[in-house]
Amino acid sequence: MQMRSGRHLPAQQSALAFLVAAAFVVLFVVLSSTPGYAIPAFARKYGLPCSACHEAWPKLNSFGQNFKDQGYQLNNDRDSPIWLNPSYWPVAMRITPHWHYESLGHQSVDSGDGTVEQTIKTSGFDLTGIDILAAGTLAKNVSFLLVPSIDGVAGTVGFESANIRLDNIKGSPWLNLKFGKFELDGPLSEKRMMSFSNTGGAYQLYHYVPAGDINDFTVGENQLGVELMGHSLDDHTRYAASLISSTDGSLGLPGGRSYDGFVHLSQGFMAGKLGLQRVGVYGVTGLRPTYSLTSGGEPIPGTGRGNKSFYRAGGYGNLYVGKFDLAGVYQHASDNVFLANGTPANGELPEGAQGATWNIGTFEGHYLYSPKHFILGRYELVRMSRQPLSDLPSDYGNIDVFTAGYRFYPFINSRAGFAWHIEFSTLKAVKTADSGADQRSNSFFTGFDFAF
Amino acid sequence: MMKRRMICLSILLIAATAGSALAQNAGVSSGYPTPKNGFSPAEQRGHGLYLRYCVLCHGVFGDGNGDNAPFLDPRPRDFTAATFKCRSTPTGTLPLDSDLIGTLVRGVQATNMPSWRPLTDENRQDLVAYIKTFSERWKTEKPGDAIKIPPETPVSIESIRRGHELFQKMECWKCHGQQGRGDGPSASTLTDSKDQPIRPYNFAMARNDSRFKCGSENQDLYRIFMTGVDGTPMPSFADVMQPNDAWDLVHYLRTLQTERRSKENEVLKAAGGAATLKSSENKSENNSAADSNGKTHSGGH
Amino acid sequence: MRTKQMLVALLTLLVCPCLLFAGTVSGKVSYTGTPAKPKPIDMSKEPSCAKQHATPITTETVVAGANNALANVVVYISAGAPDEGQVPQQAVTFEQKGCQYIPHVLVMHTGQELKVLNSDQTSHNIHPLAKTNREWNKSQPPGTPPISEKYDKEEFITVKCNVHPWMRGYFAVLKTSHYDVSKDDGGFKLPNLPPGKYTITAWHEDYGTQTSDVTITGNETKDVTFTFKAKAY
Repeated sequence: MQMRSGRHLPAQQSALAFLVAAAFVVLFVVLSSTPGYAIPAFARKYGLPCSACHEAWPKLNSFGQNFKDQGYQLNNDRDSPIWLNPSYWPVAMRITPHWHYESLGHQSVDSGDGTVEQTIKTSGFDLTGIDILAAGTLAKNVSFLLVPSIDGVAGTVGFESANIRLDNIKGSPWLNLKFGKFELDGPLSEKRMMSFSNTGGAYQLYHYVPAGDINDFTVGENQLGVELMGHSLDDHTRYAASLISSTDGSLGLPGGRSYDGFVHLSQGFMAGKLGLQRVGVYGVTGLRPTYSLTSGGEPIPGTGRGNKSFYRAGGYGNLYVGKFDLAGVYQHASDNVFLANGTPANGELPEGAQGATWNIGTFEGHYLYSPKHFILGRYELVRMSRQPLSDLPSDYGNIDVFTAGYRFYPFINSRAGFAWHIEFSTLKAVKTADSGADQRSNSFFTGFDFAF
Repeated sequence: MMKRRMICLSILLIAATAGSALAQNAGVSSGYPTPKNGFSPAEQRGHGLYLRYCVLCHGVFGDGNGDNAPFLDPRPRDFTAATFKCRSTPTGTLPLDSDLIGTLVRGVQATNMPSWRPLTDENRQDLVAYIKTFSERWKTEKPGDAIKIPPETPVSIESIRRGHELFQKMECWKCHGQQGRGDGPSASTLTDSKDQPIRPYNFAMARNDSRFKCGSENQDLYRIFMTGVDGTPMPSFADVMQPNDAWDLVHYLRTLQTERRSKENEVLKAAGGAATLKSSENKSENNSAADSNGKTHSGGH
Repeated sequence: MRTKQMLVALLTLLVCPCLLFAGTVSGKVSYTGTPAKPKPIDMSKEPSCAKQHATPITTETVVAGANNALANVVVYISAGAPDEGQVPQQAVTFEQKGCQYIPHVLVMHTGQELKVLNSDQTSHNIHPLAKTNREWNKSQPPGTPPISEKYDKEEFITVKCNVHPWMRGYFAVLKTSHYDVSKDDGGFKLPNLPPGKYTITAWHEDYGTQTSDVTITGNETKDVTFTFKAKAY
């Protein structure tokens, strides 16, 4: 099937391929260090078992989603912190010690004068990063979330989340204002993802950009900004609109001088005995600078110039059939030609340059045999519809990822969460090797996920 | 290639969906092992939901002795007693399913019982079916007939005044206090049927979004004192109050919620405020002291 | 009271000659040890009741008479009773007077009509804390007609008035009409027992139950005594 060998690829493209690989590695390191949210502090506060709010933690059920949408409140007059024992501290932690096996196919390796491609395999014991989850209410209808995250690999402490939320403004569930750093209200929560491995631990849906694209925006990363969110009392109708800094959640001076906008609308409805189904649409658009002012050749922070646009738009359905649920998301993405080719807006575009567009489908199925046994299957496919360079093969950079996992929760109480996690994920990226071959990555991950 | 894969995937998904739908119909939807024989499918599903949502407070045996129970005030309901606070049925009778479902939807104000509104209607029906397995009374007795609530009478200052007289005559103030602050002479001594201390409702605390334990509307208030709140000191007044009197009392009780916007408060304010009721308060106290027959206002209007 | 019982016995004899050879169980209930002292009740919060009592009344948890006699003990046939299922037609009456329950312990047959009277100038709420029977709770303002109720299952039920926390009484719902409540001298009498084997049970609200087996062979009087161990607190 291979149309060309890598040797015929232009040098630029080879470099791009490397960039893609590097980007993936960085992405996975970052993402696998953030296991996400399941907050036993709430279970302790309200005395509810994890299973009351989580279908299987960290995935929320409709009751948990409603609890979150109400500002971590049950609205039974016991939400204010005054009801708590003074020694209660709303802090929980989560980490996942694990063993994993990784295999990366068609990696360029130096050999004598040239390079050869080979599969790199490794395995070993490891830790995810630790999430310190502090969340609760400061007063009735004033809630907060603070998630300092320690990344053991980079040795850094980050602020995964830090936000304050004014809930039920004017007594209406339709008006809630969140301010700070928070996860965008997307169709699937990456912070509550049920897979952790290097290959399957992040949504392509949220992170994929073509090779060489310098747009750093991701729906999955927590963003800095303000969110207006509202919902009906039973949570069947939900909306969220966010205005966010164009920094993809990074602290410090913004690169550009623009803001991104995100909207999400969804509607749940009862389908007879099948239960609650949900459909929704979402979109995000923004600008990214393509170059900075420089001083002595060095870029000056906060001086991004040459803004170029991008957007992501999608629709989804979330179907529940008894113990089985399936989420299907379709998303169309478009990046401006300057972003897609990594070219400054005041520079010269390479020949054949064009705006990149691509489509992503994500199908995630869960089978909850009981609250103790959770089975995951996910299939994601990325299909380029317009390459950033017209002479690239039309399927260059296409991706297929399949992830399967199982989680076992031996006990469920209101104090802590504990799960044995096992997962396998395999990814194929089309023609991304230097040789032009398809690259396959496999991950096997097993470990103990706990939060307390 | 791609197309073929998508078709494969679709077939797989459909097969999986159909499989789980069949499993659902087999009556094991919650996925829990069967705890005891003889459960109906609804009870079986309710059992799974109960373990997921309710068990830590209400306990495995439904006796209100879950792990959290010692830390909760008021204590969780004991389903083995089959005594329920919020009923549309007379005191001492079992509630209707719709009463229990209503409690699940609302939650119970000023307790740790949250609103289970996000669950589906079927979930709630299943939970109610399961909760009813905890007491034999559900097998030997039928729920009572819902009390009839006639249409509300118009809110008027006369109605509020008559309601105020009833508040005196029925001695609501013994527990709830003259201002409805829950500070009547007997308030500090009250215990529920499990000998746990319990406070009378404080009307003055109410704000615009306040609810009662068993609802938030005028007809909920009517229902609460006519059926009583079983398991608590709050008795039923159904035998001693005519429907029109009851509406008068509802209208007066609303004026005790001084911080809450209501028609009743507007009418009272237009008529000169709570002070205009004071004269009748003295009169009624004098009456009851002087006239030992305690001539009652019997709603013949 | 005794003459009334004699009359009833006479009538029964006239109606049913088969009871001609009827035995009687009689005896006395007493206690050993030192019972808790009755506590005076403060009714100052309810002046209309307080003024009915020249001297403050005391709690009736333990009503002790001379020679260690124990009153308010329900003595009844718990097994072998000849008339299970025969529900007396006349109602029993439980009166609220002077913020006290009269009688303190009221015995009734399952299914027998119970009438609750309020003779006071204040509202009472009558709240029998039934467990196996239905728990109800009704308000009874002064001048309202008697409340009529009945109980279907055997049970000893604590009765409270939540408005007047000192008020406490008991319903003993039995499946027999062969019962008596011990008097101030501790005496009780269960007449008109045809020959047979019986289990006699004595129930006291604080001291619990005791049983005794009795066999009646003919026209005789068997003496049974019950002795409860007093709790000092």
